[in-house]
Amino acid sequence: MATVTRPVPSSEDPRRRPNIASADIQLPAVRDYEQVDREIIGTLHPTVAWFIGLGFAVFVLAVGIFAWMYQIYAGTGVDGYTGSVMWGVFIITFVFWVGIGHAGTLISAILYLFRAGFRTTIYRCAEAMTVFAVMTAGIFPILHMGRPWKFYWLVPYPNWRYIWPQFKSPLVWDVFAILTYLTISSTFLYVGLIPDIAVLRDRENISPIRKRIFSVLSLGWRNSDREWRHFARAYLFLAALSTPLVLSVHSVVSFDFAMALVPGWHTTIFPPYFVAGAIYSGVGMVLMIIIPIRKWFKLQHYVTINHLDAAAKLALFTSLIVACAYTTEWFVAWFSGNEVEQTFFWNRIFGQWMWASAILYTCNIVLPITLFSQRLRRNTTWLFILSITINIGMWFERFVIIVPSMSHEFEPWRWTSYRPTWVDYAILCGSFGWFFMWFLLFIKQLPVIAISEVKEIVMPRLRATHSHGVTVTGEHIDYERETPGEHE
Amino acid sequence: MRGVIAHFRELDSLVEAIEELKEKRSGDITVYTPTPRHEIEQAIHPPPSPVRKFTLIGGLLGVTFGYWIAIWASDYWPLVVGGKPIASWVPYTIFGFEVMVLVGGLSTVAGLFITSRIPKLTMTVGYDPRFSSGDYGLWLECAPDRASEAAALLRARGATEVRSER
Repeated sequence: MATVTRPVPSSEDPRRRPNIASADIQLPAVRDYEQVDREIIGTLHPTVAWFIGLGFAVFVLAVGIFAWMYQIYAGTGVDGYTGSVMWGVFIITFVFWVGIGHAGTLISAILYLFRAGFRTTIYRCAEAMTVFAVMTAGIFPILHMGRPWKFYWLVPYPNWRYIWPQFKSPLVWDVFAILTYLTISSTFLYVGLIPDIAVLRDRENISPIRKRIFSVLSLGWRNSDREWRHFARAYLFLAALSTPLVLSVHSVVSFDFAMALVPGWHTTIFPPYFVAGAIYSGVGMVLMIIIPIRKWFKLQHYVTINHLDAAAKLALFTSLIVACAYTTEWFVAWFSGNEVEQTFFWNRIFGQWMWASAILYTCNIVLPITLFSQRLRRNTTWLFILSITINIGMWFERFVIIVPSMSHEFEPWRWTSYRPTWVDYAILCGSFGWFFMWFLLFIKQLPVIAISEVKEIVMPRLRATHSHGVTVTGEHIDYERETPGEHE
Repeated sequence: MRGVIAHFRELDSLVEAIEELKEKRSGDITVYTPTPRHEIEQAIHPPPSPVRKFTLIGGLLGVTFGYWIAIWASDYWPLVVGGKPIASWVPYTIFGFEVMVLVGGLSTVAGLFITSRIPKLTMTVGYDPRFSSGDYGLWLECAPDRASEAAALLRARGATEVRSER
């Protein structure tokens, strides 16, 4: 909010090359503030396709709930756990969803502090994605527990048992980190939404009930200079607090593994490795969501190819970091001279789990290399396919971290295998149903693009003729006929 | 509360009107704008927002509570793990940090609400729904005898609508 709006560079400016996708992103096809209101609010009307999508998401969620009920009834023996592999699909999926939840706050907070202009039109989607992803992630440790109704024992509160949580346990660190992240992410999302809800309140002329709801949710926001001044400051501080929070949360999640003495886990590179992986998977999910939305909602002139190009560069950069982490792991295993570690890594890459490692390395190292090509970065079909493979790759990364380590620990007599059951798969699918149900409900109730922030980068109406192409009557003149990103 | 509300279609007209009213010390000015603009901020010259104080105090309270709950609970229920001290400050920094962010963030929002005076339960005099779309509004709080002079000035600066409100 209150980003530094820059003057639009003229077409003669040599810096304006087709591939510039950074802070100087403008929206040339958006002419005035009224157009922003009209087009973004216009996306809120439910359609048949939306109802079908929501119905499918609810159905998949119902399948997952049924599987969970069965698991509670029959016990965790119906999951694929073995004597050695006691962390399976649930913990893998927990880490996966926490990772997905990272890109939202990265895009809304970190890129805000860095004044990266391409965040403006995608951050709302990413923030909502974060909240729903963390809501999904939070369910999995509870699912994983044999007695899920006792999950609150991890929260420190005065109780008749006189027992307090073990504060040196990474599991308690997780509870604090995840709950803080969920609270702050939700707060960040809601605070950013307040001015937009006020716009919805003022434009709602059909349903008095909706108008009433928007009036309550907007808290009587009036767009006064006083409100904006405090809002901009509060938003800045929330971003500043959220930035280290993003880095800390997945570091804490990585401690669940790194604090153990299990081969493959007990390593100091886990926190940066996990954070980079989380950002990578989160950007992948943002691309997977935003590409269909911009097409279905006809918002290509808001989320331009330049925005996608910049997000793809972020995905490429983080894929290079995770590739570096993978090679560091291999090197450390070899260089340590630790026979257990070496045997374990050999088994992970060339032995029992070669198939999973192959999927991981293909999706996370090989395929993202294509993003070095500008042509492919600006190809939405390829980006969408790649976003799916990124998410598959990142789920398998967590599989490869968790299962091979537990199935190949120190004593050979404990070496075993792991095969998820239908209950594991059903609950995994149900988590996607849960996530997309919330997301689909969100996109038809609240704007997926931040209205007030987009207005910041749209040229205001001016009385005097402006050097960047605004007439006396306030109409914009195309300052560049072939603006990159306006047309695909 | 009495004053004059003026609608502006153009940003530069609004900024000129603010500057002139400030120069003439005509009264307290409130500007309604669909989106924050640096031009308006520079014309108004507002004091720094006090929200940062809420953030600082909340953060300090949070970090204190985070360390305290971990140390106190460990001391109350002493259990030696891995030969480490009962009150180990290194792992407890995680609690200090997380609770600092939690309380600091929530107190920032509380600061926003208090300083912006929201939630507002009553209608705001002079507010028009067009101010959240594309128009700018300027509310000048002034005595009735100065209202006509201010209205003339606002019209001269390009206001499309000017009316007295109370």
